[in-house]
Amino acid sequence: MSKVIAISRRTLVLSFTVIALAACALPAAAPAAPTTAPVEPTAAPTAAPTEPTAAPTATPAPVVVAPTANLTDGCVENYDAAVDYFPEKVSIEDATGFVVEYFNNYKVVTVLNPWRGAQEQFKYVIVQCGTPAPTGIENALVIEAPAKDVIAMSTTQLPHLEKLDLLDRLLGLDSFLYVNNSKVRTLIQAGALVEIGGGAEVNIEKTIEAQPDLVMTYGVGDPQYDAHPKLLEAKIPTVINAEYMEGTPLGRSEWIKFTALFFNKEGKAQEEYAAMKQRYLAVAEKVKNASNKPTVVSGMASKDKWRVPGGGSYAARLILDAGGAYLWAEDTSAGSMQLAFEEVYDKAINADVWLLTAFQRYDSIKAILEDEPRYAGLAAVKSGNVWNYDKRVNENGGNDYWETGVGNPDILLADLAKIFHPELMADHELVFWRQIPAQP
Amino acid sequence: MNLSLPRAGRASDRPASPFPPLGMRRPMWLALIALVAAAFVASLALGAVRIPLDEVLRALAGGQASKDTWQTIVLTFRLPKAITALLAGAALGVAGLQMQTLFRNPLADPFVLGISSGASLGVALMVLGGAAVSASVFGRTALLGEFGLVTAAALGAAAIFVVVLTIARRVQSVVTLLVLGLMIGYLTGAVVSLLIYFSIPEQVAAYINWTFGSFGGVTWQQMRVFAPALLIGLAAALAGVKPLNALLLGENYARSMGVNVRAARWWVTASASLLAGAVTAFCGPIAFLGVAVPHLCRALFATNDHRVLMPAVILLGGALALVFDLIAQMPGARFTLPINVVTAALGAPIVLWVILRRQSFARV
Repeated sequence: MSKVIAISRRTLVLSFTVIALAACALPAAAPAAPTTAPVEPTAAPTAAPTEPTAAPTATPAPVVVAPTANLTDGCVENYDAAVDYFPEKVSIEDATGFVVEYFNNYKVVTVLNPWRGAQEQFKYVIVQCGTPAPTGIENALVIEAPAKDVIAMSTTQLPHLEKLDLLDRLLGLDSFLYVNNSKVRTLIQAGALVEIGGGAEVNIEKTIEAQPDLVMTYGVGDPQYDAHPKLLEAKIPTVINAEYMEGTPLGRSEWIKFTALFFNKEGKAQEEYAAMKQRYLAVAEKVKNASNKPTVVSGMASKDKWRVPGGGSYAARLILDAGGAYLWAEDTSAGSMQLAFEEVYDKAINADVWLLTAFQRYDSIKAILEDEPRYAGLAAVKSGNVWNYDKRVNENGGNDYWETGVGNPDILLADLAKIFHPELMADHELVFWRQIPAQP
Repeated sequence: MNLSLPRAGRASDRPASPFPPLGMRRPMWLALIALVAAAFVASLALGAVRIPLDEVLRALAGGQASKDTWQTIVLTFRLPKAITALLAGAALGVAGLQMQTLFRNPLADPFVLGISSGASLGVALMVLGGAAVSASVFGRTALLGEFGLVTAAALGAAAIFVVVLTIARRVQSVVTLLVLGLMIGYLTGAVVSLLIYFSIPEQVAAYINWTFGSFGGVTWQQMRVFAPALLIGLAAALAGVKPLNALLLGENYARSMGVNVRAARWWVTASASLLAGAVTAFCGPIAFLGVAVPHLCRALFATNDHRVLMPAVILLGGALALVFDLIAQMPGARFTLPINVVTAALGAPIVLWVILRRQSFARV
């Protein structure tokens, strides 16, 4: 990651108009002249823009052999507007939060739902390094691909980077505390990463000094908590990864393709996702026709309130796909619901399985009851069918369920299927969930 | 201070007995008692789960409701919660009244001495301050659990309580106490912010959740500590009514009446701190009742006499806590609100209305 290259890259972004003029001199893919109204590129991803029939100018064009794979390292040396520089493309199956359009030397990705109730969308023009950026795309951040390094602002991005063989490009993290990934922990111990802080407390000076090609963050829509407004203000190429807004486990993990776009790793992303999805569907298929579907309650009470996942939520979908009968399955809300303890108690009194999802690491059901004796009436408590997802939690409380798990929903599903239907999942060893013993 | 309470002005020309004899306000008292009773029954009968009233009564009378869960819900969910709300509302009102009189400031609330800040700090240290400290103190199981929160809040409140009482015995001026409370608030606020900054979302959520307040977390087991603590505090407050009346007319006046001002101040501080600390420990920082209820009672009974106000505040505080909690539950609705949302949203307009009305009366 040479600084010279990084600076020249940023200079490219900044001297936008210069590049724009250059791009417009070329006849083919550039959408419009800079003086006319901006034109949305609307071409379908696969339909290549009109083939240029002749070389643009009198200069003899070097013979360019069309690449058969995306360039995952370095820049294009002899740009030819007629060449499709992204022969490997992503196709999105389950995620609903972003769309991609491909053009010969750039791709436009739009993040549709950056956060709950968002009024804005984020558009990124990812330009093949060594080729000119397009003009006239409004409200878009121009970023060069492949990125040589990246700062990840959420541990959920780590499994994606690992699967794409990109951990060697990891430059930094928001925080070192909550990482579970062993390779990343090794990098941290070796002092190879920077820690820039998260949210609005992000350390801009440290980030500027690190000169990242890309910062991948997330937003909640409140400048008080979000890092991206400050990072963008400092001209650091920052993109919003809104995987957490996806309502399905598959959809959420398909954001591996979003990450891949910035590194031209589409081929690998397609491959990894397809394999993972196949494993997920295989587990779902296995338990689909199970004769008994255990009833499931999730979450814990806090005083007289009990927050349960909505029927349309990520957690509810996992329970359903794992062959469980979620008690609030008819509900359609995608978030969680704050209910009265007595209402949950009344409904869950005979539930077969209780999935705690507690932050606290209870060593026994006895300890849970010491905290809140009113759980004692629940059938799942009496039968000992109480589980928590805290099998892999690091020394600072960082839960690998929300790191490796979210990136590998096939494992999350297999875990739940094992809890609900142990007889069907004999060869699966629980990864994230742990049965709480009756006594310590 | 401009904001000082209206003195029992007309009484000043009769220094021997500044307060008129207790009037016959029987209808008002009966109405208050009826309100408390109605609110108590309603909070037992209404909730997210619809249970017929006769089933509720049968469960209460020791019989067997037709569904096991109904029995449990009435006896282990609603009954302790109703008792908690009743006691907590009364305690906050009383502590608020004591603080307003002690500091001669109508804006004073039960937490003006920093007791609630102390409790917050205890909880923040417990929830946010890293597993190591809490685990070594409370054992491995009590990290984030309800019991752990109560213990932490009680310890935090008690620590500040001791500091406040020690200083209250030495200082001459109540203003020093006021400043002390304020500074404790700033200090704990800083520490809490620092802890939040270094914590992960689950921990912050647990802490924020605690700050919302709730009457529903007190189990029967905890009631064995909660109820006696509040009853002792209330009894102490009732016993301190006379010196409180004397303080209302100024410390010099109180001295001339033969009141040991310093002892009286200590007594009031001790009982108010016990009440506020116990409520905060078990229910979280419940906002607003402590400021609002004394004002409402002064308006209702048109008096500053603590012999009237003290029992009135106990009844109205308990009743309002029950009513606000019912509203927070929104019987029939899917969702519940934090109690502090309701107390502030409904309490503020009520107090405004009362104060403005009193102003216009005062002009007439």
